[in-house]
Amino acid sequence: MDLYQSLVTVNPVTLIAQICNLFLQMFLVKVFFLDKIKAIIDARREAADKEITDAKTAKEEALVIKAAYEQNMLESKAEAEKILQNAQQNAAKRGEQIISDAQKTAVAMKQRAEAEIAQEKKRVLNETKNEISDIAMAIAGKVVGRELNASDHAKMVDSFIDKLGEEV
Amino acid sequence: MEVSITGARILHTFENVPLLGTVQITQTLAVSWLVMIIITGLCIWLGSGLKVTNISRKQAVAEMGYNAIVNFVRGNMGPEFDHYIPLVCTIFITSVISNLISLLGIWSPTADLMTELAWALVVFVLITYHKIKASGILGYLRGFLDPIFILLPINVMSECFTPVSMACRHFGNILSGMVISTLIYAALTAASSALFGALGSSLVIAILVMVLGLAVSALGYKQKKKRILIPGAIAAVLGVLAVFTNLGASYPWLIVGIPAIPSLYFDWFGGCIQAFIFCTLTTLFIKQAAGD
Repeated sequence: MDLYQSLVTVNPVTLIAQICNLFLQMFLVKVFFLDKIKAIIDARREAADKEITDAKTAKEEALVIKAAYEQNMLESKAEAEKILQNAQQNAAKRGEQIISDAQKTAVAMKQRAEAEIAQEKKRVLNETKNEISDIAMAIAGKVVGRELNASDHAKMVDSFIDKLGEEV
Repeated sequence: MEVSITGARILHTFENVPLLGTVQITQTLAVSWLVMIIITGLCIWLGSGLKVTNISRKQAVAEMGYNAIVNFVRGNMGPEFDHYIPLVCTIFITSVISNLISLLGIWSPTADLMTELAWALVVFVLITYHKIKASGILGYLRGFLDPIFILLPINVMSECFTPVSMACRHFGNILSGMVISTLIYAALTAASSALFGALGSSLVIAILVMVLGLAVSALGYKQKKKRILIPGAIAAVLGVLAVFTNLGASYPWLIVGIPAIPSLYFDWFGGCIQAFIFCTLTTLFIKQAAGD
């Protein structure tokens, strides 16, 4: 004959046992399930966080490198510009120098040539004058048929030549 | 016929145990230990072979369950009560497994008031602890005089009935489910014996019903009319069972399958929802006691 409890009954032993069971079960669930899953989830979160942190660090490094690169680029650009400017200035200076030198040389040459021309002209003129005077004297001697006084003669020729020169 | 609904069967009685006196080992305790073994085994299985990446389906399910319980506790209590996750988780899973184990025809430990009362008393101690911690022992005692000293008895009663109501709500639902399923089984057994007693009283009637049912269902199958096919099939099955009964294989056939339909509500739905309600009340009461 099986013995049964009544449908609703208070049994202190069962009550205490069930409280103990609850705590024991809680401990078992915590140790075998909750703690393990929690550890795994935490590990995964840490791994994910680490990835993100690593990515951030890498990005920051890249940004630093980029900034340095850009700085370098700017500097080299400025330097290049400076060099170019210097070169242009030098070139311009040099060009001006050359031009002014050339102008000076040209002026000097021109002056010398002019002086030479003037001298030559004078020389040629004098020679011509002398020749003409000689010829004129010879012609005059023949025409006039008499010997002219040399000094008179010279005066006459000179005046003639002067007149001639003016006409020329 | 006689239908009797009793409490847990007493498996063994130890007389004159020191301190405790008479100790009865009931089905409640035995099945509780079985449930504990099942849960612990489940925990060990789910908690083993865990990996951080490339997880298995089992681990995905375990993590889903873990997240569900954590979100439940945090949603109801806030993140500062994370240390109650094991308690809530344990009560929930123990309650669900204890409720559903009745589906296997095993006595459900939650059909014994002592089980729920044990949980409710633990919760009550926690509630009281948090109330005293929040407002001091004097503040806690003064709370009983609130709003007016005349209400002291009512306040004391309402305090004491918190665990009682928690325990009885859960117990009552499981008990009613058990009572109703017992009644359904008894009714179906009676109906079964009446039906097959009539059909199986003579082999000729039984075979006639069977053949008629087969013929009608064959007709329904040919014409593709479910209205004819289904009653025919039922008649054929009844006929076959009646033949078995007549030949001596007597069994209350109606209790096969049919009780599963009300059991969907009374055992599955009721069992899960009561576990959920108990845990919700646990979290809310503790949160309320701790103050905002």
